Amino acid sequence: MFFLYNLERQVTLHPSYFGRNMHELVTGKLLKDVEGTCTGQYYIITIMDTFNISEGRILPGSGLAEFTVGYRAVVWRPFKGETVDAIVTSVNHVGFFADAGPLPLFVSAHLIPPDIKFDPNATPPQFTNNEDSVIEVGTHVRVKLIGTRAEVGAMYAIASIKEDYLG
Amino acid sequence: MATSNLLDAHFDDSEEDDDNFNPQPADLSDAEDAAADDDQDAGDQIRNEAAQQQSGDEGSDEEEAANNEDDEGEGEDTAARDDDEEEDEEEEEDDEEEITGHRRKRRRERRNQFLDVEAEVDEDEDENDDDEDELNEIKDNFIADTHPDDLADLPAGGETDDRRHRELDRRREMEASLDAEKQAEILRQRYANKNRSGRAIGDSAVVPKRLLLPSVDDPSIWAVRCKEGKEREAVFSIMKRIEERLGTKNELAITSAFERGGTQSTMKGFIYVEAQRQADIMTALDGLMNVYPRTKMMLVEIKEMPDLLRVTKSPSLEPGAYVRLRRPPKYAGDLAQVIDVTDTGLELRVRFVPRLDYGLHDDSNAPVDAFGAKRKRPTAGPRPPQRLFSEVEAKKRHAKYLQGRPDTKTWTYLGDEYINGYCEKEVKIQTLITKDVNPTLEEVTRFASGAEDGTENLDLNALAASLKASTANASYLPGDVIEVYEGEQKGVVGKAVSVQGDIVTMAVSEGDLKGQTIEVPTKGLRKRFREGDHVKVIGGSRFRDEVGMVVKISEDRVTLLSDQGNTEITVFSKDLREASDSGGGGSLGKYELYDLVQLDPSTVACVIKVDRESLVVLDQNSQTRTVMPSQISNKLDRRRHAVATDRNGSEIRLDDVVKEHGGEGRSGKILHIHRAFLFCRSDTSTENSGVFVTRTASVATVSAKGGRIAPSNVPDLNSMNPAMKRNPPAPGDMAPPKTFARDRSIGQTVTIRRGPYKGLLGIVKETTDTNARVELHTKNKTVNVPKDALGFKDKISGQSIDPNSRGGFGGRGGFGPRGRGGFGGPTPGEGGGRTPMPAGGVERTPAWGTSRTPAGGANGGRTPAWKQGGDASGGRTPGWADGSRTVNPYDGSRTAYGAGNRTPAWSSGAKTPAYGLSDGFAAGSKTPGYSGGGDAWGSKTPAYQPQQNQSNDSSWQNQPASNNWGSNAYDAPTPGAAMSAPTPAAMNAPTPGVYSAPTPAPYSAPTPAAAPTPAPGWGGGGWGAPTPQAMDAPTPGAQQGYYAAPTPGAYGMPETPAPNWQDDGPRYVD
Repeated sequence: MFFLYNLERQVTLHPSYFGRNMHELVTGKLLKDVEGTCTGQYYIITIMDTFNISEGRILPGSGLAEFTVGYRAVVWRPFKGETVDAIVTSVNHVGFFADAGPLPLFVSAHLIPPDIKFDPNATPPQFTNNEDSVIEVGTHVRVKLIGTRAEVGAMYAIASIKEDYLG
Repeated sequence: MATSNLLDAHFDDSEEDDDNFNPQPADLSDAEDAAADDDQDAGDQIRNEAAQQQSGDEGSDEEEAANNEDDEGEGEDTAARDDDEEEDEEEEEDDEEEITGHRRKRRRERRNQFLDVEAEVDEDEDENDDDEDELNEIKDNFIADTHPDDLADLPAGGETDDRRHRELDRRREMEASLDAEKQAEILRQRYANKNRSGRAIGDSAVVPKRLLLPSVDDPSIWAVRCKEGKEREAVFSIMKRIEERLGTKNELAITSAFERGGTQSTMKGFIYVEAQRQADIMTALDGLMNVYPRTKMMLVEIKEMPDLLRVTKSPSLEPGAYVRLRRPPKYAGDLAQVIDVTDTGLELRVRFVPRLDYGLHDDSNAPVDAFGAKRKRPTAGPRPPQRLFSEVEAKKRHAKYLQGRPDTKTWTYLGDEYINGYCEKEVKIQTLITKDVNPTLEEVTRFASGAEDGTENLDLNALAASLKASTANASYLPGDVIEVYEGEQKGVVGKAVSVQGDIVTMAVSEGDLKGQTIEVPTKGLRKRFREGDHVKVIGGSRFRDEVGMVVKISEDRVTLLSDQGNTEITVFSKDLREASDSGGGGSLGKYELYDLVQLDPSTVACVIKVDRESLVVLDQNSQTRTVMPSQISNKLDRRRHAVATDRNGSEIRLDDVVKEHGGEGRSGKILHIHRAFLFCRSDTSTENSGVFVTRTASVATVSAKGGRIAPSNVPDLNSMNPAMKRNPPAPGDMAPPKTFARDRSIGQTVTIRRGPYKGLLGIVKETTDTNARVELHTKNKTVNVPKDALGFKDKISGQSIDPNSRGGFGGRGGFGPRGRGGFGGPTPGEGGGRTPMPAGGVERTPAWGTSRTPAGGANGGRTPAWKQGGDASGGRTPGWADGSRTVNPYDGSRTAYGAGNRTPAWSSGAKTPAYGLSDGFAAGSKTPGYSGGGDAWGSKTPAYQPQQNQSNDSSWQNQPASNNWGSNAYDAPTPGAAMSAPTPAAMNAPTPGVYSAPTPAPYSAPTPAAAPTPAPGWGGGGWGAPTPQAMDAPTPGAQQGYYAAPTPGAYGMPETPAPNWQDDGPRYVD
């Protein structure tokens, strides 16, 4: 689910940047550092704007200036039970992997309707019910997240297509 | 009397428990009233009887006195209260029963109260709380009016009945007239009382149990020895005997008999008999089988009796369960599977994998009665491995012991039955270990009976049962979500709050009991997970420590997708535990998943799986192997800056995404770069955890092409820094090369130029950056001297030298020669200067520069020239150009060449215009020579080849000789052009001097032929002399010889040869 978060971050700036447009640089650095990252809980999709750039404080020892920057960011936090669209990236007999934007997810064969079976002989390998549903690399699927796993800089999810309106 | 009774009754009533009397009027139920009336009458009669023993007056007084006393003596009251309360309870209970019971009870109580005046009344008083006081007062007031009358009337008993009736009526009136409030109060009070007694009932629930406990009056229990394992039989036979003798004269006087046998019991070998006297037991058990009453009988203490009867549910074995054998010793500890259980549960039919050697180790000389020996054998030797029974094997040696039919696969061998290869046997449960069996998967797979179609069907349920039984103590932790799947509370789901021993306290989170906390034995519990939960495998399964997400749950089997391997594994839910969100990457010791490790000097491998005790690695040859951490020689750290080039020549670094060209076309992120091998990981493949090995030459960069991402933690300051933008940094000067070799000054002869030791000569023994320890020649002493206070001297000549020039110090061949006779003189002088030149094969340049100032700019070029044949021209040219017939070039050349002689020779000759042309020459002749060879080597070869031919050489030599390489000659050489072939060759040849370094070998090969010959032939003697000295033993010698051959003819002149060499020499000398 997407949220607008007010976040805060410490940005450090090298002394060689000290000057008139320092704030721009701080903002630039913030964008560079933060946008598109994953905190382990959510993905920071984009930064809307920054506000409240604090006064710089020189860090003793390094000479870097530290700014505390408040910013407003669009974040995406995947939830259990959320339904997302994803693109299949790989298919094997235990299930298939897909990417929902930045989030890699796995759909186990247990979580695929029983009539959709793995067909290793097709090229590329695919899950199919021999009718209209074919899941192969590149297929767009709609899945429901049933679990997410967060690591330090990444997230993973397990999803299901074993419900109505999924697949 | 009657009046007195009445009075008593009244008095009592007012004072007494309301339950008994007072409330009755208030009670509106007629039935009760009637009952109460009856009651009253009955009670009165009894009282009358009792009261006759006392004088009525006294009685009343006494009672009053007693009341007062009671008020004071609270202590007594409390003591008495217990009993009273019990009685009250009983009353209550009875109240709730039938009315008849009621009466009896009340009657009794009344009487009791009457007899037991103080205690009873007290209690009643006590029971009446302050609340009641008011009411009592009211009553008292009301009744008080009558009291005096009554008292007065006591003696006269005529109208007693009337009075009573009247009084009753009045009371009713009275109560009716009481306002509702009061009535309510009365009611309340009554029910409060009831409640109290209700409370008492609660207490009493405990009491009877306590009362049930055996006391000294009860029959005692004796423990009687019996044969171990026959406990139950013994009890049954006692029972039988009791029945037999029932009603006869000698009926058994025992109350009960029981046993606490069982395999795990500590009370094996005993039965317990309950009887009043020990003698009864003796008679009862006399003559019974397996029971030994005459041995010491033990009296069970009273307080231990209840424990004897505590029931512990014995683990029930079911077919399919796994047990371990205890006997025979050959199979001790082996896993067996229960096939069948007898009704008594004492005997089982089990099957296990036999350990047979089929007589292989039988002593053929052993007595025919082999069984005796056989029995001992297994204990003696190592037991045979577990293998399924094979009739073929058995037939080989033990055909006579083997019976059976092949069609059913049932055999009898040596008295044991073998079915489908397993040994099946009836065993007593005592010979089995049924607890903590913990079968390992390997063991269990032996029982995975191959089905007809060859598939293995492992009875997971049986296994689960065994495992569950064995690890029923599966660890539950507070916070685990658990579910009760057995027993009354089946289906209850909650969260463990605390765990104590086998009891888990859980807070129920779903269903009717929600919000309550209940205690459940772990036995009926299992952990509950939901799909998508992130769990970790704990417990004994081989997947231990895997972390993954649950994808499927059926019963208590949970399928999860491992985080590491992207594989699915199925385990029992008891082996799982909710994992913290950040799953720990697997690591074993210091090796972690995806680490690069060195297996042996030539093999590296990437860890692709971490097990509990071993690692699975993928080596550089794409082979997986399982290794123990001890087999790994070390871990290779990730070289962050490792760079390689892909097949297109673009650079690839760690974490770049590359795609295999050809092959399987896999793509992945580079984990490690090791020499020409890339260890990549692809997310899409599950094989080897997605890791594959490929060669750098077979991949192409997919991403990170061109735009290489700077490490994110260090922002690219240069690109952003305005200051930097304004002043793009000038290309920095290269730092002076550092010398890493050992300090050359060590071992050098030095003079000390400053300080207290100034002027002394010594040898450097050790050095640091700034200081040197110098062993003085004069005193036998080693002193510390700053390095800059040292002056380096040539060991032999005593000349000052530059310690950093390698050659000199090395005592290289090159230098030695300088000391050479002819040269001796000049050389040293230049030696100093020159040494460097030759010395620094590499650093020569400067050396050259110094020494050969004239050469000037050329030096730079030259030096390399020296090194490389290719440049030789350049190098030499200057020398030649200078026409520095002087020793310098000469020496230089010589040294460098080892065969240097020539050069000088050349140079001498060079002076000549030809050499003047030198440039041209270099360019022309030489270059060609070189160019031909490109490399010195190349050039050489051609050059050599001709040389190799004696004929060539000779001819060549001859030519020069004849031509006089001399000045003219040189012109000639230019004409050498004429000689084209040779000259350049020759030229080249010398140049090759360059080779000296590299070529020696080749030289030696070809040259020798020439060399020797020339040496002598050419007055080589002269040369020879110098050469050996001058030249390094090996190459130079050869070279010289070689050159000698060519050059000498012409140039041979230079040094020593000069004399020998006749014309040339002199010329040179010039």
